[in-house]
Amino acid sequence: MAEMVRKSSVGEVVNHWILAGSCIMLIITGYSFLFHIEVISSVFGGFETMKTVHNWGGVVFILSLLVSMVHYLKDAFEYDADDLQWFKVAGGYLSHKVKVPPMGKYNPGQKLYYLGIVGAGIAIALSGFGIWFMKDNVTVMLVSHLVHNVAFCVFVIAVPVHIYLSTLANPGTFQIMVNGMLPLSDAKKKYPKWMKSVGKM
Amino acid sequence: MANDKTNNRKAILVTPEACIGCRGCQVACKSWNQLPGIKTKNNGTYQNPPDLASAAFNIIQYNEVPSKENPVRWLFVSRRCMHCDDAGCMKICPSGALYRTAEGAVAYDRDKCIGCKLCVTACPFDVPRYDTDNKVTKCHLCFDRIGAGMQPACVKTCPTAALKFGDRDELIATAKKEGFGTIYGEKDLGGLGSVYAFKDEPKLYGMKENPSIPSSVVFWHNYLKPLSAIGLGGVVAAAAIHYLAIGPHKEEKEEV
Repeated sequence: MAEMVRKSSVGEVVNHWILAGSCIMLIITGYSFLFHIEVISSVFGGFETMKTVHNWGGVVFILSLLVSMVHYLKDAFEYDADDLQWFKVAGGYLSHKVKVPPMGKYNPGQKLYYLGIVGAGIAIALSGFGIWFMKDNVTVMLVSHLVHNVAFCVFVIAVPVHIYLSTLANPGTFQIMVNGMLPLSDAKKKYPKWMKSVGKM
Repeated sequence: MANDKTNNRKAILVTPEACIGCRGCQVACKSWNQLPGIKTKNNGTYQNPPDLASAAFNIIQYNEVPSKENPVRWLFVSRRCMHCDDAGCMKICPSGALYRTAEGAVAYDRDKCIGCKLCVTACPFDVPRYDTDNKVTKCHLCFDRIGAGMQPACVKTCPTAALKFGDRDELIATAKKEGFGTIYGEKDLGGLGSVYAFKDEPKLYGMKENPSIPSSVVFWHNYLKPLSAIGLGGVVAAAAIHYLAIGPHKEEKEEV
């Protein structure tokens, strides 16, 4: 067995799955509310119970998102010249011939995605609480309803991209979200600047 | 949606000129729908209850509009759900509790209501009310009566024909023939199911000018809803195309 290196702590992996699980549940129930999909609401015994699940699932989601900020927020704000170059070659995703600059622990696409999720996540949570608790204020309800649905669009477009890029598009990446480990040789290829910074290279 | 229903679309025509303010319609509505009484206080007007409520699907508004010739001028306007053709409440309802009957009325399925109150925010006429169980209530055009060939309870009891029920097109045509200059609700929101025959400005009768669904709700319905479906489908399709056309990332050579 090749030497392994830890990229994600157990806490990061566990929290990521709480975040992912609640997020996907919220998206599915959200679609059910949006298009009156009774096949989905029936699973919960009706729209009323699904509303309760959706509301409290939202609480789990935002708490998990706040925890994730301890893990990722600092990294997500730091960009260097290689990151800029990464955008110019589209991360190497549109052609395998271009040379992708050396990356740190996270590439700038991941970092911007994370900031997008934090922004949309806070917006969707606050607007969700608005719809949940401020029913008698028409302005709050209408603004919340709009914000909730704009943020929903951000999620249903961004999250599938994240899932694709972290599974099929990058073989081996999914493993990191299972046990937090990847082979040292892979880490050196994928994240040379991170490996250098922790003295493994 | 408007066209396939016009043949069968029923409506209530309210003619305030003929209304004597007896409130028989309020009583009949309560009686048919088994609604409890509401304790109210005298607040200086005969209008009672003061507003629509979960136990008051219709009310007569006692608009006091004195004129030079008539210093004591009351304009009685019977108010209830407008049964909009383009109904904001139905658009925004996330559980499909509000629905359209075969006669074109907007009715509700109490069991499906989840108590979110979004319909209240989307209604241009401030009609839906929530009962103590936190379920939506409002006039449903007595769909249970008209489905059995009867008139709505309020119309049935009206002694002066200030309330008329029938085919919407016919009611409007008759009112116009009778010389009513303004038919409120003929075109608004795709045509209302509660139409009003006025001789004066609708504003005088306390009617809302140019009623409309909140623009954010229209924007959401027309753009965000489709975007959320097309967006997901588009991204999944793009990922599939990317996987097939360009393929996953490969580590072809050592780079140090």
